[in-house]
Formats: sequence, C-alpha cells, structure tokens
Amino acid sequence: MGRRTVFAPAAVLALLLAAPFAGAVGVTVPPYTRTVLPNGTVLVVMPRREVPLIAFTALVRGGAVADPAGKAGAAALTAGLLEKGAGSRSAFEFADTVEGAGGSFSAAAGTEAISVSGQFLAKDQALMVELLADALLRPRFEAAEFEGLRARHIEELKAAKDSDPSALIRLYGRQFLFGNHPYGSPAGGSERSLAAVTRDDVLAYYRANFGGDRLTLIFAGDVDVQALAGAVQRAFSNWQPAGAAIPVLAPPPAATGRRVLLVDQPGAAQSYFWIGNRGVARKYADRAALDVVNTLYGGRYTSILNTELRIKSGLSYGASSGFTRGTVPGEFAIRSFTKTDTTGKAIDLALATLQQLHGSGVGADALASARAYVLGQFPLQLETAGNWAAALAELELYGLDRAYIDGYGAAVAAVTPATAARVIATAFPRADDLVIVVIGDAVKIRDAVAKYGPVTETTLAAPDFKAPGAP
Amino acid sequence: MHPKIPGGILAVLSFCSLPAAHASAPDEIRAMTLDNGLRIIVWPDHDIPNVALYNFVRVGSRNEAPGITGLAHFFEHMMFNGTTRRPPGEFDREMEARGGSNNASTSDDLTTYMDWFPSSALDLVFDLEGDRLGHLAFDPKVVESERGVVYSERRLRVEDDNAGFLAEQVQSTAFAAHPYHIPTIGWPSDIEGWTLADLQRFFKAYYAPNNCTFVVAGDVEPEQVFALARKYLAPLPRQAAPPPVRTVEPVQPGEKRVTVERRAQTPLLQLAYKAPRADDSRNVTLNLLATILAQGDASRLHRLLVEERRIAVNVDVYLQEGFDPGLFWLFVTLPQGGDPDAVLATIDRALASIATEGVTEAELARARNLTSAAYFGQLGTINGKARLAGEFEVMHGDFRKLFDLPDAIARVTRDDIRAAAKDLFDARHRTVGILAPPTTAAAGGEG
Repeated sequence: MGRRTVFAPAAVLALLLAAPFAGAVGVTVPPYTRTVLPNGTVLVVMPRREVPLIAFTALVRGGAVADPAGKAGAAALTAGLLEKGAGSRSAFEFADTVEGAGGSFSAAAGTEAISVSGQFLAKDQALMVELLADALLRPRFEAAEFEGLRARHIEELKAAKDSDPSALIRLYGRQFLFGNHPYGSPAGGSERSLAAVTRDDVLAYYRANFGGDRLTLIFAGDVDVQALAGAVQRAFSNWQPAGAAIPVLAPPPAATGRRVLLVDQPGAAQSYFWIGNRGVARKYADRAALDVVNTLYGGRYTSILNTELRIKSGLSYGASSGFTRGTVPGEFAIRSFTKTDTTGKAIDLALATLQQLHGSGVGADALASARAYVLGQFPLQLETAGNWAAALAELELYGLDRAYIDGYGAAVAAVTPATAARVIATAFPRADDLVIVVIGDAVKIRDAVAKYGPVTETTLAAPDFKAPGAP
Repeated sequence: MHPKIPGGILAVLSFCSLPAAHASAPDEIRAMTLDNGLRIIVWPDHDIPNVALYNFVRVGSRNEAPGITGLAHFFEHMMFNGTTRRPPGEFDREMEARGGSNNASTSDDLTTYMDWFPSSALDLVFDLEGDRLGHLAFDPKVVESERGVVYSERRLRVEDDNAGFLAEQVQSTAFAAHPYHIPTIGWPSDIEGWTLADLQRFFKAYYAPNNCTFVVAGDVEPEQVFALARKYLAPLPRQAAPPPVRTVEPVQPGEKRVTVERRAQTPLLQLAYKAPRADDSRNVTLNLLATILAQGDASRLHRLLVEERRIAVNVDVYLQEGFDPGLFWLFVTLPQGGDPDAVLATIDRALASIATEGVTEAELARARNLTSAAYFGQLGTINGKARLAGEFEVMHGDFRKLFDLPDAIARVTRDDIRAAAKDLFDARHRTVGILAPPTTAAAGGEG
C-alpha cells in the first residue's frame, strides 16, 4: 500500500514524458525506422536487445472524439470488443492465446485515438502480428459479447462511484468546462450514454473510423526486423481506408468568470475538488518552460500547491496540478481533497497559490531546482521497450518528430525567469476565471462553495458526469 | 548494452515443459554487512544514468498494539520531516533540487523507503538517508500537521472507498490474536491520540541499522556504494534487536462473517483464507493458483463469474506474504442488485472443483508463463531489481533466492496445485466480508 505518493494525475506523468537530459547524459531516441505502406499505414520499429520481449502499440486515429452525439463510449466499446472474439478465435480463445504465451494485449479508447498495446516474447513475434491483425481487421463484434461488455462498462462506472472519488472527478471537470466540445465528453462513456449505444453504433463506428489510413503500428524490443516488416506488409497493406474523415477539432473556448459544480455524495468524509480552465495544446511552443513551471506549481512533492495544502497546513494528503495537451488545448487543472469542514479553507488556499503564481512568478533558485528535477527524472520514464513504444506513439499521434525528445534537454536547461513568466501569463488560468467541481456532502458544504460563483448541483449516483439540464 | 536478465531465467521463459536450468545470482551483484548490522546490496546496471535506492525497515503494523495502531505508517511520514541537522522539508528540497524523487510505503510487515535519482546525486542521497536514520527530530508542530495529512489519507483510502472500508473490516475480523488484525493506516482514535513519546520509543526500538536493509540498483559501482555506506551509515550505533512478535494466531475454528451496510451501488464480496507465511515453499504454488483463478480474462473465476454467468463485474486475487501466516484474498465486485450469497455459492463450487479435480495442464502452463513474464518485466527496470532483491533478502533471508524462482515455478505440478487448493480453501479457515446497501427503502446515508 503506497503511503506517501503525491496525488499525481495522469497529465503530470505525461508531462514528465517530455524531458530528457541535456548534454552528455541526455536521453537520445535510439535508432528506429519509420515506413509508410501504400495504404497509409505507418510502421515504426525500434530494435532494443536488452530483453527478449517485444512491446507494441497500435494507434487508430479518431478515438472518443468520433463518438456520435449522445453516445459517448461507442469508441470505448468498439475498442473493448476488438479482443472479445476476432478472426478464428472466440473471446475466450483470444484471451487464452495471449495469456498462454505469457503475453499481454489490451485495447482502450483515448480521446483522439484507440490504442491497442501489450507485450509478447520475441519468439512469439508472428503470433503477436496475427493477433493484432485479427483484432484490428477481423473483430467479430458478436451480439452476446457486445451486451456483456456494455453492461460491464456501466457497472464498472457505478463501482468507481463507490470508490475513492478522486479517480472520477476529472470527468466531471472536463464535461463542466468543455460542455459540448468533444473534449467534454467522457472517453469511456457514462452510465446513461453507454445504455444508449447499440451494437449497430459499434459497427458504424468501426466502418467509419477503422482502416489502413488511420493506423500506426509501433514495435519496440527484440524484433526480427525483416520478418516483422514482411508480416506487417502481408497483414495490413491491403486494409482499405476508413469510411469517414478524422473529425477536425476546433479549439474549445476558455471559461470566463467562475462557476461551480457541486456533486453530492451524502455521508462523504472528505470533499474532493478539481479547479480548471483551458490550457494549451500539444504543440505549445514553450513546452519545456511549461513543464518546469508546472513542476514548481503542482508537479512534485515540494510544489507550491502541495506545500500549502499538505506540508504547511496538514489539510490534505496531497495536491497537484497538470496540463492535458491534445491536438487542441485541453485543460489545466488543480486537484486535491480535504475533510468536509475544511472544504472552503482548502479551496481558498488553492486559489491563493494561483494568484501568487501570477503575482510573484517563480524565483531563479526555484527554477534551477525544477529544471534539475525534470531532467533528473526523465531517463526513468524511458527505460523499457514499453516506455519507448508509448513515447513513439505520442510523437506519431500528435505529428511530432524525434526532436521533441532529442532537443528537450537543452530546452529545459535554457528555461529562464522570462520564459517562465511568459508561460504563467499564457498557459495558467487566472484565479478569477475558473471552473470548480466539488464532490462531497452537499448539505454540509453547499454554503461554503457558493462564494466561488453560481452553483449547479448534481449527485454522484446520477448516471452521467454532467450538470442536470446540460446538453 | 549488456543483457539485463541473468541467463538462467530465460530458460523458464522459453516456456516448455523441460525443467529450467538452475539460475545462480549474477556476479555483478555484491552484498556486505556493516559492523553495525546494516545490510547493503548493490546491483549495477548502467543502461540509464539513474539509481533506485530502497531501504527496507523491518517494522510494520504487525509491531503495533492498541493505542498506537497506525504508528509505523505515521512514522514513515515523520521520516521526511526534519532532523537535528536539517529543518523540516529540507530532505525533499535537497533531493528534488538534485533531480531526485522519493516515496515510501508501509505494510503489515515492512516500512520501505525509496529514492530515484540521477547517479550524480548518490553522495547526497546517502547523506540524507544517514542523517534521518541517525538524527531524526520530532517537531511537535509538524507532528500535529502530519496527523491531519494521515487522517486525510485514511478518509481517501478507507472512509470514502467501499472496497478499502470492507477490507479493513475483513482483516480485523480474520485475526483474533495476531496483530495482523491492526489496519496499517491506524484506527481514527489512535491517529488522533498517539504522542511524541510514542514516536520516540518507536524510533529507538525499530530504526536501528541492524533492522535495515539497503538495496542500490542502477548506474553505480559496488565499491563506490560501499564507501558511501561506510561514511554515512556505519556511524549509526547498533541497537538491541527489536522485540519479537510472540503472538501466534490460533487455528480458526470456523467461518467468520462480517457484513457492512453502507451506501453503495455495487455490492462487494471479499473472501480471506488463512495462508502460510512468506518464507514457506508452498507460496510459489499458491501464487500460481492465484493466477489460475483470477489473473487475466482467461482465468477461471473471471471467465465463470464475469464472462459466462455475468454475476460479477470484476474479480481480483491477492496473496499477503508476510513474516507470519497471512491471508489469501479474493475481491469480487457485483453488479447493482447482485446477490453476494449466490456469488459465494458459485465460487465455492469452483474452488471445490479445483480441490477435487485439479486444473488442466494448459491452465498451469498459462499461469507459469504469466508469472514468469511478470517477474521478467520487473527485472527489466532498476526499480524492479532493487525491489525484488530487497524483498527476497528481507522476506526470504537471501536475495540470491530470487534467482531460484524460475526453477521453483517450473517444478510446480498439477498435483501440487490441487493439494494446495484442498488445503487452502477450507471454509472453516476463512472470513467472508459482504458490503451491500441497506435493504430498507427508507435508508439514507451511512454512518
């Protein structure tokens, strides 16, 4: 049982993925090849010989942003069904084949791509390509499997609402902040939207969004390069293009002023809060400075946020912040929690830190410490073949090249107080313009949260993540 | 680049029915014991310019008593909060400014401290670790503030989390005598009640060099690490061995049951069977049995409960391996409206069938391969190397036993699995936990 972990959202971990060492000790992307098949499928291969394993990631562009209106979770169900029977194998036979080989294979819908990833022994390279091709090109989408998986996804969301609420709060936050923009929609769906998804919706999603032109295949590890290229060619080069174009995303609008969503969980011992606004996109030019400043603000144990909410006051087990950066700007968010009767005190303190960041900026010593921290932790994020497959997938998905990693150490080392100030002004929301979500015992905290802005209420048990009446 | 995995381990990964070659510990791993009893193991690996350092302290909630439950875990927090040489917060400030991060965890048996840092910070990290073991300070203000942090952690993991809430009840019910009934996070009144004197006594008793095991894996050389250990850790004075845990849990005379009525959409069922201590040769078999039961979509219970009958949303399994006999856990999440007793009856039939008819050769092979792959994956990182080497040294008496594991996995037979299941799944020796919403329509929030 981990006991001291700083509460770090996925966004913070993702940011750490972008900071190799500067100079002699830097992380340089190991050699890899990138090939485009005639049908548009991209094949990326990075040989790594340390262990006789091959890690893979297959990206199918589109993801949850291609879900039909009111049917959030269609992409997630499509992804989940890829391994529930494909080619000549039933769902059980597929799982048994993977696990019988000591392998792993899992598919999930992200916001902008469905990704299938896993790992096999090098000796099972041919089997790995066969299973990938079956799952992507020949999924069975059997009605009984569809019904079972949909019911399970719905029940899993209910179970998540019976668990530590910090895991779900981001879904409420994104929906409340982005509204009808595709980034507002939960990638896994809600209980209500999943109930509306039919097997026909899944078949339609598959026809529109799966095809050779949407696919990127990444392999890192102990590959037989020639055999792998041949197997991929044979399996994928005749795959037809997807039926539809990839959805074009407009940047979501930022929130102005403040508003509050109160999610009632009667009897909750603690209040969980998420404070956010629109942040920046994946290709934000000052990315290195962004990482360094967020590290100082809410990305490590001694961050400004954790110092105020945990170390100095004992109000919370942890407080953190992070950016989610997509093709267009996603959110910046602060997350923490505190016992019910200190809800207002903790939120006040979090807002004060944001005002302080804008008012006083960050000092030169603090910057030097954060630069060292970002650089020092980075090699640990790129240690295994699986790490490299994921990092290359990120480059491919967002149209970045290897300079995104290779050049990053120097960029981090070059962050100055001036670039930090620019990042604070352009990427971090002002304390007056924020969307605030609080999950807690509404009877006890309704008055405390009213001072932050107009309050909309829902309940944790309600079958979706949005405010009542929201479209 | 050198191969990361010692050769013998690969034998089992070729996944045939041939016996695996016995694997000896790689020569590059070196170990020494300082005069004060502190054990230190070094595993060089230069693939990345970083180091993982673990310090395993042999103390956990098993060493607590009424009034000081949760103290081992609270102490874990206090180890970051200042020494007579460094003010509170300085440990983290110095480490992070040099590119390092850290964490710590507490279990029933152990308190484990971890640092991950660039090898250029090696000297600093030894200085910091030696400082807090030798010169810890207890600032009363910091103690009060940290109490709030720990209580917040308890609310997060137990009070606002149904699975955590039920598991605490099951564990505290399962043990009548042995201190494994104490929740590691501590009971609320103790979190609010322990005193500065309790902390000082605890430090004196357990934070002795002869009760610590350091493991350093990564971009280092053994002699360099040993020199730093002599400089920063050798001055720590050896102390009397901590008091042993004398209590032996009596044989459980019959099934126990704990029922929690609580706001919930999805009911929960947990089963906890009495299981052997970590250093028991049966555990290799029990871990394979756990994998056969509930790891992966092709596992027996997942297939039966989640895919075929659809009477569960999720099933998980966990073997608690400690210094004393612990628990073999099954965790089941039911769909809304599900009937825990009906699920229990289905599980009982499935477990009975393994105890009588055993498992198939394919099931055993699948479990062997998944277990080996997981083991192999852990050895692919400096963090995994440090953790595994330390766990084997501390829980099994010698880090070298880590390299016997593939051989032990290969030796397990279907008969072993059947015998282990027959022995383990005795309803008289289990605790059943059920969490469900109140059945009356008028029920509101929980207490």
